[in-house]
Amino acid sequence: MTVACPKCRTKLKIPDEKVSPDGTRFRCPRCSTILLVKKRIKKAEKIRKGLVLFAHSDEELRSRGETLLKENGFEVITASDGIDAMVKAMRELPEVLLVDVALPKIYGFEVCKRIKERKETSEIKVVLIASIYDRSRYRRPPQSLYGADDYIEEPEFEEDLIPKILALREGRKEKAEERSEELPPVEHRTEPVPEEKEEISEEAPGPTPDQEIERARRLARTVISDIYLYNPQKVTETIKDGSFREAFQSQLSEGLKLYNLRISPEVRARGDFFNEEIEKFLQAKREELGL
Amino acid sequence: MSFINYSTREINCKIVYYGPGLCGKTTNLQFIYKKTMPDQKGKLISLATETERTLFFDFLPLALGDIKGFKVRFHLYTVPGQVFYAASRKLILKGVDGVVFVADSQIERMDANIESLEDLKINLNEHGFELERLPYTIQYNKRDLPNVVPVEEMNRILNPDGSPWFEAVATEGKGVFETLKDVGKQVLVELRKSY
Repeated sequence: MTVACPKCRTKLKIPDEKVSPDGTRFRCPRCSTILLVKKRIKKAEKIRKGLVLFAHSDEELRSRGETLLKENGFEVITASDGIDAMVKAMRELPEVLLVDVALPKIYGFEVCKRIKERKETSEIKVVLIASIYDRSRYRRPPQSLYGADDYIEEPEFEEDLIPKILALREGRKEKAEERSEELPPVEHRTEPVPEEKEEISEEAPGPTPDQEIERARRLARTVISDIYLYNPQKVTETIKDGSFREAFQSQLSEGLKLYNLRISPEVRARGDFFNEEIEKFLQAKREELGL
Repeated sequence: MSFINYSTREINCKIVYYGPGLCGKTTNLQFIYKKTMPDQKGKLISLATETERTLFFDFLPLALGDIKGFKVRFHLYTVPGQVFYAASRKLILKGVDGVVFVADSQIERMDANIESLEDLKINLNEHGFELERLPYTIQYNKRDLPNVVPVEEMNRILNPDGSPWFEAVATEGKGVFETLKDVGKQVLVELRKSY
């Protein structure tokens, strides 16, 4: 394969066999930049009819679901976390993706959003598995399906699974569509999905994982998500007309005051995590709004 | 710390409902208010914004019977949940006898739950309290929503010490009185130790 050094643009020819499945590091002979080279994920031609990808962290439930699906004539692949689910969904293009809402690494509803946003995977039917704790308890219908085609509550998994998948296959999803139209959409924040990226890397971009930095980022995320939660309409309007920071100046400065009080100067010296998280939120919202 | 009025023979205890923004603290108090007999309750005072969000606190006095000839009154307070109202929250915690931490069970609010719990510990420490030594009950609210974190996971993250916890749907009143009774019982046990 041929790859270009991101720094000096030198093209490097690398034999395929030298690249391991997890990627291999190479040094650019011209500028000495270290490159992490990964194999391109092979794109399937089209959605694979009859293939179900079942993503759930509970091994026992995965195995029960797999058996049930196979008994009903489906081909099944499984994933145990959000990254695994994204990679397999993009590579295998299953007809149906069954995904747990509380999936580790990338939450199920974020997997769903990303799958629906990508052109090559948007045709995959996504069924969310909700984590209601006990079916004898209370419940109310979901306020948002996060773009999914349907959802199943975990205690009703076995009885609902096959009928719901068959309904989706036969195009009987009117009920789900009607329901989502009736309910007001709840907006939420997701990481922007890079357009051209073919691979999902487990390595998080940015600073090395560190509890103190994560604490700083979490505080900043809470500030911005609280501002949004209490003023969803005004936030949307001011993002549209570019006056967000001006309109929420007092709340942002209160948030920053608390951030400066709670986060040590050493951590603050390592990066402007407060504004990075605010900007990340605004960017995601702009993308959602198509700005 | 509970306040004893010897002339009127009353013991007043302060219970604070803490938690992230829009987790249901005020809803808890409103339900308690609605379901309590008129002679047992005072006026529910809410300092709220025009969108009915708690600005400073909600306050509800409740009469709960006698201890050694003293009338016991519980004063229930909530705090403003939005993260940047830390100063108001600290003020309201002054003299607290028991805390209810109302967690929002939705996945999207786990960051805010963790942050609020940290905030509670910091503010209590600044008043010279430790959460571990206070009557303390956790309520996992909004259990009726489909995008909730399993209770085991919430306990792992928010309740590593194994404090009493309850599931709730405060809008329907489920789990509301169970939570109040539990923290109230703990406060009364502490009272009996002191007097």
